[in-house]
Amino acid sequence: MSAALLLARRGLGRSRVRLIASVGGVALALSLTLALDAIYAGVANQLTAYIDRAGADVWVAQSGVRNLHMVASWLPATVTAEVEAIEGVAEATPILYSTDTIAAGDERSVAYVIGLPAGTTMGGPWQVVEGSAQVGRGEIIVDRGFAQKAGVTIGDSVGVLGSQALVVGLSAGTASLINSVAFISFDDFRALRGDAPVVSYVLVRVAPGASPAAVASRIGAGVPGVTAMSREAFSAEERRLVTDMSADVISIMNVVGFVVGLCVVALTVYVATLAHRREYGVLKALGARNGVLYRVVMVQAALSVALGFTVALLFTALLTVLVPRAGSNLELALGIASIAKVGLFATVIAGLASVLPIRQVAGVDPAVVFRRGVAA
Amino acid sequence: MTALTLEVRNATKRFGDGDTSVVAVRDVSLAVKPGEVVLIMGPSGSGKTTLLSMMGALLKPTEGSIHLDGTEISALSEGRLPDIRLRQFGFVFQDFNLLTALSVLENVAIVAELAGAKRGLARDRAKKLLTELGLAERLDFLPEQLSGGEKQRVAIARALVNDPALILADEPTANLDSKIGHEIMRLLRAIAKDQGRSVVIVSHDQRIRDIADRVLWLEDGQFKDIVTMATDPVCGMAVERERAVIGERDGEAYWFCSRGCREEFISGLLPDVEAVSRGLP
Repeated sequence: MSAALLLARRGLGRSRVRLIASVGGVALALSLTLALDAIYAGVANQLTAYIDRAGADVWVAQSGVRNLHMVASWLPATVTAEVEAIEGVAEATPILYSTDTIAAGDERSVAYVIGLPAGTTMGGPWQVVEGSAQVGRGEIIVDRGFAQKAGVTIGDSVGVLGSQALVVGLSAGTASLINSVAFISFDDFRALRGDAPVVSYVLVRVAPGASPAAVASRIGAGVPGVTAMSREAFSAEERRLVTDMSADVISIMNVVGFVVGLCVVALTVYVATLAHRREYGVLKALGARNGVLYRVVMVQAALSVALGFTVALLFTALLTVLVPRAGSNLELALGIASIAKVGLFATVIAGLASVLPIRQVAGVDPAVVFRRGVAA
Repeated sequence: MTALTLEVRNATKRFGDGDTSVVAVRDVSLAVKPGEVVLIMGPSGSGKTTLLSMMGALLKPTEGSIHLDGTEISALSEGRLPDIRLRQFGFVFQDFNLLTALSVLENVAIVAELAGAKRGLARDRAKKLLTELGLAERLDFLPEQLSGGEKQRVAIARALVNDPALILADEPTANLDSKIGHEIMRLLRAIAKDQGRSVVIVSHDQRIRDIADRVLWLEDGQFKDIVTMATDPVCGMAVERERAVIGERDGEAYWFCSRGCREEFISGLLPDVEAVSRGLP
């Protein structure tokens, strides 16, 4: 193997332009897939950030409702007391929820608007960077990113649910590519929605030592008309929704990345094989078996792909750091599953790219050494 | 290294079929003994390289056979030929055919590695050979950084690294100037005489006739006139046996460039025949 490795390595190193084209092409192709995966994983993280950080161990929703995004959940207000009565529940907080737009001047932004009871310890912003973490009547806490974009600050007013509210706090980590989260008082929310005696979700903190899944199960069994889920399960449902919505796009981009990568590597390895036909002939004349030459081709393909994969990985990792710093709401999350998938792509690309040149190598006539060529 | 005899028996090589077929080598027979230097000469297109390719197991004869110490290598399957090429033959080419991406040392060592030598051992063996050939200062150079003579010496080291019994050289001086070409030929002769290897050289360079034990003339794919070379034991000059002055001493025949040398030899004035023979140009 060492002879094949040496020949492959030196062969690649000797043709720098070809190596750069090959590695660059693979890196670009694999970056497409990796970056897209990272974007969707980031969006999923952002979308579930409120569920994950609201402080609830169990989420109780209208029967059949299993997530937040693009759904409406309405429960009678009395359900909070019923939930509190279930064994293992330490605390239950009702929230009102709606997807709406918040507006300031010309800036309009889609937001999850949350109606929070006064003094609640669950459901509110988890990181307030300026102002208050509590909202009273006529007040609102908005995401810092929205405030910057809209040019509003503490003391300014923004439009929400058809009314105006005074900005009293700026939160961080509450914005995604799609929307942000805004917090108003529970009473304002109810009043703006016609004072109906309803809540959207009940957030539950379980007693110390209690299992959220078990408590959720008991709530589901003991309170009619609700669906109760542990935070992990509820978050996973939300994440699955994003994945389902993006599955086709991701699949298409995976195929595009795979095909582009395959074409680039196959072409460059093939061209390199053609360019080295005479040297392969020399090696054959000197006694190298076809197997050795096959290994040279395969190692060259594998090295090109491995380098391309590494560059793609570093590039995507760099993007995950740089993009949020550039003031974008876009978050990229590079996951192990995505890396493994793209790594598998790379391996298959290297394998397939080696197949075509192998025929060329097998057909090399060792007597080519006696044909006059360029002296080396 | 085991001394081996290479034998070509009635070999014919035909390219193509029917009316368009071309016979490159026609019914050629030849035996090369251990330690012998055979020079095959002839005009371009006479079939020299085709014959050399067949002798080196790179090409199979259409008719006839090639034998290496009794084994018919032309009848062996393709799968068995790489081992024979790797271990029994050393090739030297007109174009040197060094691997451009590898250093001088690697060009030689890799052939030993292909034959199964461990990397360290292969490099040691290559280093020793290259040093013996005066290339100790060039081990890490790339082929493109070498002169023609140096490249050919690297090619010779590569040909020797697996200790083959036969060296097959195709126009080894064609890309070299006269002085360097002569040095290379002396080196090949020394390899044959000092190490007991057979050396078959294909060339149309008349200047190298004097280093061969035997000169064969190939024309239109056939040997036309076989010229056997001998060394005058008195002056050391290479002479064609058929045209030389012949003499005998102690029941053994000798060939001389002139009557003067013969008389001197017969009269016993020359004490050390071997020493003079070794001193051939």
